Amino acid sequence: MLWYKAWLETRARFLTCFATVVIFCTVFVHHALHVVCAESLSCSAGLWDPARQAEVYRLLFINQQFLVFMWILSVVLLGMGGIVREGAIGTAAPTLALPVSRARLQGVRVGMGVLQAIALAVVPWLSVASVSILAGRPILMRQVASYILLLVAGGMVYFAMSILISSLIPGEYTAPAVAFGIVILAAILFDEYLRGLNVWRLVTGDFSVDHTTYLLSRHLPWLGILASLTCALLMFFASILAVQRREF
Amino acid sequence: MTDEFVIVTQALSKSYGHSEAVRALDLSVGRGRITAFLGRNGAGKSTTIKMLLGMIRPTSGSGTVLGNVINDSKESVALRRRVAYVAEDKPLYGYMTVEQIVRFARSFYADWRIDSEKQLLRDCELPLRRKVKSLSKGMRTKLALLLAFARRPDLIILDEPSEGLDPVATEYLLQSLVARASEGSSVFFSSHQISEVERVADHVCILEKGALLMDASLDSLRESYRRIDLVFPALPAEREFRISGVQRIQTSGRQMSVFASNNADEVIERAHGLSVVSVNVTPIGLRDIFLETVKENERALV
Repeated sequence: MLWYKAWLETRARFLTCFATVVIFCTVFVHHALHVVCAESLSCSAGLWDPARQAEVYRLLFINQQFLVFMWILSVVLLGMGGIVREGAIGTAAPTLALPVSRARLQGVRVGMGVLQAIALAVVPWLSVASVSILAGRPILMRQVASYILLLVAGGMVYFAMSILISSLIPGEYTAPAVAFGIVILAAILFDEYLRGLNVWRLVTGDFSVDHTTYLLSRHLPWLGILASLTCALLMFFASILAVQRREF
Repeated sequence: MTDEFVIVTQALSKSYGHSEAVRALDLSVGRGRITAFLGRNGAGKSTTIKMLLGMIRPTSGSGTVLGNVINDSKESVALRRRVAYVAEDKPLYGYMTVEQIVRFARSFYADWRIDSEKQLLRDCELPLRRKVKSLSKGMRTKLALLLAFARRPDLIILDEPSEGLDPVATEYLLQSLVARASEGSSVFFSSHQISEVERVADHVCILEKGALLMDASLDSLRESYRRIDLVFPALPAEREFRISGVQRIQTSGRQMSVFASNNADEVIERAHGLSVVSVNVTPIGLRDIFLETVKENERALV
């Protein structure tokens, strides 16, 4: 039932983010396919103009840029709350009185957040793929899978950071403000000085896309993904330690 | 020894910086009893309860609840399985409905009783579909108490349980406490409402500035505490009555009032030796005992 509590606690935030992201991606890709098709004579004749294919994948790449922005915004918001926030608003007592360890409390919270983050990446891209199939212009599922993988595995570090911050800072507005501040600052600083380590570019597919065909390479930046996942795991672990040590 | 007591602390202390919230607390709460934890605001009652439940760590000292060491995280989980706790201010999850929070709480405890849950829901007239955040303070308090009383725990710990309740609900709470104790649960509750404590408790612990001033059964307090009003032809020196057990002496004209925690007979004997004209001995209520104990402590500290 801790999962049930975690779901009820985040349900409104998740469903709002979910609806926003899915609707945006569906409408964007539907409109983009319509525009590309309208410009292509072969398309209207029922043929797929290979020259237009790159244009479609460029639009999918652009879709990923928007999706990354909205996804990070969503997972940072989903990472807020938890036992430290409950402590600040005075509702930590019933949670701490439950016969469960703090590690499990935090673990369930992380688990629910990870599932929601995955849903926020998978469902929009599946809706994009569905739109493309319905429009008679199916996109490569491998591309869809790669974008999802980059978003979830590469971007999990953003959710982990949000969880860690909310385990250290109880403020309702302070915690998300700090998290967003770090996201923006990191994107700017890494882009300026350590471009190769910029997670934002890793997640958007900037490091893997072929700028001629706009197809993602078969060789994804596995090292970057692994490093990002390792950082995320360390931050989740640190958040559990922070909650275990905290006094309420 | 362990079986006799559900809560045992030894030199339990908690400091926040230079401020000592709880000082070397040696507490023993007997099994099957209703023990009241009295103290002023900021006396350290809630801090003690939080330490017992593992919400905060003691600075020093040790303690056990139902034989489980409070400092050990694994044992703390085990003890919480057998303890029902209602916190001060009755915090609950505002985003859940009454039905959801009852279902949620039920899933954690093997000692949950569906029949009690249904009975309490009926008695408390709680709206199942309403969100907790839209409940009145009184209803929230009733819901918090329901979550504790729908179980058959070994120990019930309540922090200011009657706060926010109307007289009818308070009466129901007190009767429920007695009923739970008669079913075998030990009850440990903090309160400012001395009249309620007097009605249901059989043991009283008084905490003041983090230190335990009194740990006694209510019956023994009732038997030993006396106010002795004496009238003399000429008022004798107070020192004549400064004997063990005498907490305070008040004088007015030829009249002297002696507050004694014991040794009332010795006071009366001395008074007769000093040609007392009138002697009137009255038992002291818990309220006066509490006030006297706290004042005595303040005088001692000065």
